[in-house]
Amino acid sequence: MFSGLHATIEGTRAALASIRAHAMRSALTTLGIVIGVAAVITVVAVMEGLSASIDSQLDDLGSDMVTLRARTSQEQAMLGFANKLSYEDFIVLKSKVNNVQDMSATMQAFTFGSKVSYGRETIQTQVIGTDANYQKVIKVFPQQGRFVRSSDDDRRRRVVFIGESVRKKLKLPDNPIGEFISLSGEWFRIIGVAEERGSLFGFDQDNYIIAPFSTMASLAGSRVTENIDILFRPAPGASLDNVQAQIRQILRKRHHLSGDDKDDFEFITAKKTKESFEKVTTSVTLVAGGVVGISLLVGGIGVMNIMLVSVTERTREIGINKALGATPNFIMLQFLVEALVLSLFGGLIGLLLGWGLAALLSMLMPGMPGALVPGWAIALSFGFTTAIGVIFGLMPAVKASKLNPIDALRYE
Amino acid sequence: MPVDAVISLKNISKRYQMGTETFYALRNISLNIERNDYVAIIGPSGSGKSTLMNILGCLDVPSEGQYLLANQAVATLDEAQLAQIRNQSVGFIFQSFNLLPRASVLANVMQPLVYRMIPTAQRRDMAEQALSRVGLSDKLGHFPNQLSGGQRQRVAIARALVTKPAILLGDEPTGNLDSKTTQDIMKLFDQLHEEGHTIVLVTHEQDIADHCRRVIRLVDGQVAQDSRNDMQTREKMHV
Ligand SMILES: Nc1ncnc2c1ncn2[C@@H]1O[C@H](COP(=O)(O)OP(=O)(O)OP(=O)(O)O)[C@@H](O)[C@H]1O
Ligand SMILES: [Mg+2]
Repeated sequence: MFSGLHATIEGTRAALASIRAHAMRSALTTLGIVIGVAAVITVVAVMEGLSASIDSQLDDLGSDMVTLRARTSQEQAMLGFANKLSYEDFIVLKSKVNNVQDMSATMQAFTFGSKVSYGRETIQTQVIGTDANYQKVIKVFPQQGRFVRSSDDDRRRRVVFIGESVRKKLKLPDNPIGEFISLSGEWFRIIGVAEERGSLFGFDQDNYIIAPFSTMASLAGSRVTENIDILFRPAPGASLDNVQAQIRQILRKRHHLSGDDKDDFEFITAKKTKESFEKVTTSVTLVAGGVVGISLLVGGIGVMNIMLVSVTERTREIGINKALGATPNFIMLQFLVEALVLSLFGGLIGLLLGWGLAALLSMLMPGMPGALVPGWAIALSFGFTTAIGVIFGLMPAVKASKLNPIDALRYE
Repeated sequence: MPVDAVISLKNISKRYQMGTETFYALRNISLNIERNDYVAIIGPSGSGKSTLMNILGCLDVPSEGQYLLANQAVATLDEAQLAQIRNQSVGFIFQSFNLLPRASVLANVMQPLVYRMIPTAQRRDMAEQALSRVGLSDKLGHFPNQLSGGQRQRVAIARALVTKPAILLGDEPTGNLDSKTTQDIMKLFDQLHEEGHTIVLVTHEQDIADHCRRVIRLVDGQVAQDSRNDMQTREKMHV
């Protein structure tokens, strides 16, 4: 008797010879698996690359940064209400809440127009009114000049700190410090340019202008100052829950909310943002996984089909081998190995193809981070293709092993 | 039952159902073949010679009757055990050669050794040796479709010899050979016989039948004649 190992080695040798003999057909057979695995790897690589870059971007923003903003429920919105956080809320919080640092108020100045011009150039951009603390919370650093100071805020100076894209689009000189730009007809002096941040998902992250909060508030009038965002960080070692509880208590009282009223404000943490991004990437991965699962199933059926054809085609050969002493187990193993090699081969090609495709995608899409193929995706693909090889190879292999030698020899 | 009968058939029949009719390819055959016997099976075409050989070689099963191979009832063996017998006890030379078309001459002859725990290098040695015995040392790398009918037949003979089986079954092993090569091959069978192998040959050629020690003639699936040749008859053919 020969051992299982011996049979495996000889079976593999026979299987490889047979695959080589039908190279073209073997290649076409594995196409389904190639496509399936390539799809898995591409989707996973792109998704992983995205979430890795989201993680690092959010970490850059300061993972302990918290944004407090007004929240309007759907029912209220339908009735035409819009909840607001006021500058007074900010002043009260700033003086009363313990264990916070760098609390700053920001105002999105969309409402009073954000047309900015310099010379003959005019652009649309995001104008943020905020105070000096903003820099510490959001971590923007000047590459030239300086950020907004509290004295700018106190004196309502007409100064701006700009993103790199604004400088480029307005065709400002390389060193624009001291130049004046026009913001809705008012003149502002440039005091600093931020370090470039690049783009995320194709969104330009350097297209903004920051002006002192009080300057903006005075220009915009009460309409805008009624709603602001408040940014803060818990003091080192302080619990975020505690800080949030203090804020909640103060704001609920100020906004006259009774026991069962819901908060009309919400806290947005980097962690929360990360989680909602993760939810999106997970569901995309799951949907893609389903599509891919179907294509792998189709690929597996392709392998089974070709193996059944192969068994029929090689009936005489099987008969001869049986006459020469091949046991049913040996024949079964040989065909099983052949199916396995076919599908693993398809898996390998698919892996390389998917990897290449993901790399290409991230090169072609602007602002797309580099593709990442995690070990688990590789292991999963190979696990899956092995399973396909075994599951779909088993039926043809058993069929071959059960052939009666004399009938197989007589097969024309 | 004589202990020395390596093959013992008792009331063996082989039936084929052809529509509503039953056809007997073999009918009630009982015979013993002793160890180291040298037997010719003759008979007209369609008389059941190949059918009998297939049963002897454990490739086919009888519809009725009992086949004892080395005192073991073949009917009780499972497929794996039968595979082992085909591999180790019996060497079968097919009437239609049955070479593996995608394997070289050498690989064809090495194939039975694949089913044994024999290292590849040794397989090669054994196969080359068997091929040199049939005079094909110069065709090792050829493929079956690059060989003449006679050469293919000799590859089939080498493949049956390579395992040094106790019983050699040849279904018209010289059917495609010229008289010179036939004589060489008969000389080879004589040698194997002297080495102690049991040999059973199907043949259409009278001089080969005469050369064997025993002749069994089949007619319509039945044994019509079973006789032993005398020395004089046997030596008519000079090998
Ligand atoms: N699978 C089968 N189905 C039906 N009939 C069969 C089958 N195999 C063989 N036979 C019949 O059995 C008979 C014996 O066939 P066999 O091949 O044993 O003859 P043979 O003596 O070897 O003839 P030849 O000298 O031509 O080789 C033939 O009549 C053949 O038609
Ligand atoms: Mg015949």
